[in-house]
Amino acid sequence: MIIVKNVTKTYGKIIALENVSFNFNDSNVIAIMGENGAGKSTLLKICTGILSFDKGYVTIDGFDIIKNSIKAREQIGYLPEMPDMYERLTGREFLFYIASLRKLNDAEERINDITKMIGINDFLDFEIGTYSKGMKQKISVTSSIIHNPKNLLLDEPVYGLDPLTSRALQDFIKNRKGTTVIATHSTQLVEQVADIVYLVMRGRVILSDNVSKLISKYGSMEEAYFQAKGELNV
Amino acid sequence: MFETTKIVLTEISRNLIKKIKDAPFLYFMFFGMILFSIFIFSFATYFLINIETNLDISLEDIFFMVFFIFLLKTVADFYNNFTKSPTITYSLSTQVSQKKTAFEIFLAVLLTELIIWFSFSFIFLLSLSTFKINIYYPFEYILFTFGIVTASCLGCAVSINFFSPKKYRLLPMLLLLGFYFYISSPIYVVFTLPIAVIHCTWSLSNSMESYLFSKRKQRTKEKSLLKTHTIIKAQFHRETTILWREKLLFSFVFSSIITGLFSGYLFLYGDEILIPEQLRETLGGFLPSMFIFLGVYVVVMYTAVFPALNLFLNEEKTMWVIRHLPVKNDTIVYGKVSALALCFLTSIPFIFYISIFTGFNQFVFLFWFLIFSYIAGIIISIPLGVKYVGKKSDILLLYSVSMILFLIIGLMISFVNIIEKLFGNPIIFYLLVLLFEIFILYFSLKFSSRILALKYNLTNYS
Repeated sequence: MIIVKNVTKTYGKIIALENVSFNFNDSNVIAIMGENGAGKSTLLKICTGILSFDKGYVTIDGFDIIKNSIKAREQIGYLPEMPDMYERLTGREFLFYIASLRKLNDAEERINDITKMIGINDFLDFEIGTYSKGMKQKISVTSSIIHNPKNLLLDEPVYGLDPLTSRALQDFIKNRKGTTVIATHSTQLVEQVADIVYLVMRGRVILSDNVSKLISKYGSMEEAYFQAKGELNV
Repeated sequence: MFETTKIVLTEISRNLIKKIKDAPFLYFMFFGMILFSIFIFSFATYFLINIETNLDISLEDIFFMVFFIFLLKTVADFYNNFTKSPTITYSLSTQVSQKKTAFEIFLAVLLTELIIWFSFSFIFLLSLSTFKINIYYPFEYILFTFGIVTASCLGCAVSINFFSPKKYRLLPMLLLLGFYFYISSPIYVVFTLPIAVIHCTWSLSNSMESYLFSKRKQRTKEKSLLKTHTIIKAQFHRETTILWREKLLFSFVFSSIITGLFSGYLFLYGDEILIPEQLRETLGGFLPSMFIFLGVYVVVMYTAVFPALNLFLNEEKTMWVIRHLPVKNDTIVYGKVSALALCFLTSIPFIFYISIFTGFNQFVFLFWFLIFSYIAGIIISIPLGVKYVGKKSDILLLYSVSMILFLIIGLMISFVNIIEKLFGNPIIFYLLVLLFEIFILYFSLKFSSRILALKYNLTNYS
């Protein structure tokens, strides 16, 4: 469970998030949608402890991300928007490194299982610097779920993935237990996997609703997105 | 016309302005250091002109030194602005010919080198004139300027062909370098400018073969990282693997050996080469110990300060990896610093090679001084590296650390001299100093992890 309470984040004079509050409950897949620069990625970075914030608090399964950051970070898996990794390590070495830092005992088995599901197992012994964008995304996805986290934060998870892997990842998200938060522009992905959607505009939450309810009301998530923007005049 | 050149030059100048605005004091020190270095060069010139020594430095020697500095600088600049620059993709994908785009980038690099040459040479000449040295050498100045243009053309060709799948294209450049070595005359170097231009043009027309080229290499034999370790051990393996694959460890050992041999040689013959006979009695005793000091300083800069700073500075885009994992800041710092233990081993050949010249009775002192300087280098570099984490390797920081280190080990060597004069061979003093230094190192690392925590606003930093 992830609780975000009255969080404000500014970059100089620019307000990235203004007094936002979320309750990301267990067993839910939550999608955060919004325009470019709306504050989606900033929110995920704050939830992982990568980015500091000015006001408010964030707790992960009851652990404060500032005051008890180690415990909080144990509970999360994170996929950044554009994952940069150590280019001179091979994909396999990088995953073993993450497994070491996560203190996993059965790393080899987990790496083999996930990379087979994601479809990157044939390229694991090449240096990451030689990977394509999609291959890097696959390694990053593997690193985010390698420890089977209770809370999974995914920033544009299907970006750069081939259709087969994209489908496999969507199935994984739908079937997994725990909280999954996805920041995305893809209305199709939201329709496929999300239970609840939040619409963020200029650092504020302007709408939150059940995805199936929105689809039955507007016909599709895309239509719901534009209608919501129009109705709220933003 | 020349849009790409303008963009690249704008980017370079804006980056410089931004850096100056971000750290004005450090840049003030940096420029001060450059001016000071130029002044020292001028003084050395004055010294060599007016005082007779056995040191034989000719115009050719200086020409080739400047030539190779600019050649290497062009290799690096063209590599950063073209060969490995993803931003150039946009220019390369337009209807403008790709050869023209590559040429425009070369032009931007060439202009940068010439600006550096003209501004530095101007300050140098100004500085020489304050010593009342004749600076009217127009022919030599033109010779140097054309030499730099030749070096830039060859540097561009090296940068393109070294990173291309067809490395045999480096052959003309290697033949030219062989010719320069054989002939040892600046005028002949300048005569080869047309050949350098042809080689550069030919390379630029094939530059797309090296653009973002990276060879896929399968690594299945190296097993050290293919199992889980403790967090510190995992970080040690990761850092040392990167140092190994970047061939830095080999380069450290090589530089230690060369510095050891060079300092040792100057230890024995420095007096004879540099000091005029009439001054040898007065100044002679000072130089040998100075060469040992400088040797240790250079080795520590290379094998401790450079890797220690880069442990954090290079984490520009990868910081998210360790930041989102449940790892304490202390552990991050200790894990990274543990890799420096291996780097220390690469500095040890220096002691053996310099001892061939100094005699092995100095071995204990040299070893102690190397350890002291090495730890001092780490104490200074780690907090600064953490403070500027993700800012990429920066010559500014390297310069600042080098100045502080120079001061610290300089003071220590003076202190040791006093202690030796008072108490003889002070083994206990050496040990106490090391113990005290380890104590300071501990606080330096604690302080670094505190800085790392504050950067991310995290209160449980330990």
